Amino acid sequence: MALVRIEALHKHFGSNHVLRGIDLDIEEGQVIALIGRSGSGKSTLLRTINGLESFDDGSIEVDGEHIRPQGTDLRALRMKVGMIFQQFNLFPHLTAGQNVMLATRIVRKMGDDAARDLAKSMLLKVGLQEKFDAYPDQLSGGQQQRVAIARALAMQPRVLLCDEITSALDPELVNEVLAVVKNLAAEGMTLIMVTHEMRFAREVGDKLVFMYQGRIHESGDPQTLFANPQTPELAGFIGSIN
Amino acid sequence: MSDIELSDIVRNLLGGAAWTLGLSLTAFVLGGLAGLAVLFARIARNPLPRRLAQAYIEVFQGTPLLMQLFIIFFGSSLIGLEIPPWLAAALGLTLFTSAYLGEIWRGCVEAIPKGQWEASASLAMSHVEQMRHVILPQALRIAIAPTVGFSVQVVKGTAVTSIIGFVELTKTGSMLANATFQPFLVFGLVALGYFALCYPLSAYSRMLERKIHGSRAH
Ligand SMILES: Nc1ncnc2c1ncn2[C@@H]1O[C@H](COP(=O)(O)OP(=O)(O)OP(=O)(O)O)[C@@H](O)[C@H]1O
Ligand SMILES: [Mg+2]
Repeated sequence: MALVRIEALHKHFGSNHVLRGIDLDIEEGQVIALIGRSGSGKSTLLRTINGLESFDDGSIEVDGEHIRPQGTDLRALRMKVGMIFQQFNLFPHLTAGQNVMLATRIVRKMGDDAARDLAKSMLLKVGLQEKFDAYPDQLSGGQQQRVAIARALAMQPRVLLCDEITSALDPELVNEVLAVVKNLAAEGMTLIMVTHEMRFAREVGDKLVFMYQGRIHESGDPQTLFANPQTPELAGFIGSIN
Repeated sequence: MSDIELSDIVRNLLGGAAWTLGLSLTAFVLGGLAGLAVLFARIARNPLPRRLAQAYIEVFQGTPLLMQLFIIFFGSSLIGLEIPPWLAAALGLTLFTSAYLGEIWRGCVEAIPKGQWEASASLAMSHVEQMRHVILPQALRIAIAPTVGFSVQVVKGTAVTSIIGFVELTKTGSMLANATFQPFLVFGLVALGYFALCYPLSAYSRMLERKIHGSRAH
């Protein structure tokens, strides 16, 4: 049984038919690299998986939680699905440690001490144990994104959604974030990543999903697809990136 | 020429200024509390309170304060409710203040980037939890300067209540001007009184503004 099962998913923004029938199964521990041109619907697809975006037709199931066009238990769903954003979106009025602790305390109802210990171990995991008391604006972009990862991990999600999480970073800061993600993948975290880092997609991804005009145009083993794209659109896309 | 001394004028004006200050504080505190209710109605997810709050704001922002006071003061006597000028003044200014503060604060809440909502939603926080722990603390910080700035409008707005007979600084001034035939002197002093009340507030607001722009977000 797939951890995430997406079937015949359709989504419109007004008259713009953005997702045109997406079918995708994601197994536990898989790392999915979602690629495609700007506007092909990558972010929209990702955001439907944790209910940030509604959809019009089809179904999504995450670890037994059904997302329906209407009446989803978003809280239960979002306890299982973490998300990391391009712009980090740390809470600027809270320290790194407080950012990580906040939802564990108020959503998971952890006690203060337990939440603090968990936050410390999550910051340790992303290599920022000494930044517990730093505010986001005292951290580099790469450090902020690592805190955001720690914050999502503290909720112990079954799946982590990453939307171009290195695109807002200076080039020299990209690798520290990718290294953290690579570790997560090695530990068996299920990851769905929208990325422009093709080398990373090829090395770490278990499955490459190429979106084109709101559909999954091609998908499969990253090494194989990169070496041997089956459609001219994917070939063109790979050509345009390199 | 009357035999009212300058010291009498000043003493009477200080008495009037005390009422101006009292009315301002009352309107600001009660209007602030009511403004919170307006804010929460205005940003509610349910469209009904949202529309009601919007209509409320538009009524109070779209009509002169004087008309609002007239309607409260004369309207209440029309329905057989004789309310004294001070009560009409306090009520009118409180409603006026609540509408403006509600709208100012809504602007502050909406100035918080969408990413803050999305990140907190993704952490499974409920709407109330997002508000309480993520949005309002940040909105509060940017709300302080415009809120203090608006308090100047409240102080100046109290002058209008003189027309329904509330004896505050302006009304005291008119009565003294009539008695002394020295309107220039008296109203000069009245203006000085308002300036003394308002200037510290606007200077403080400007200082807060600078501090927030030049500082970190915590
Ligand atoms: N909130 C929105 N309202 C209206 N249209 C939207 C909205 N969000 C996205 N769209 C539209 O949906 C389409 C898909 O957008 P989406 O952001 O999913 O693309 P993407 O593949 O993530 O692109 P990019 O690589 O630029 O991030 C685009 O045509 C976009 O203009
Ligand atoms: Mg996108």
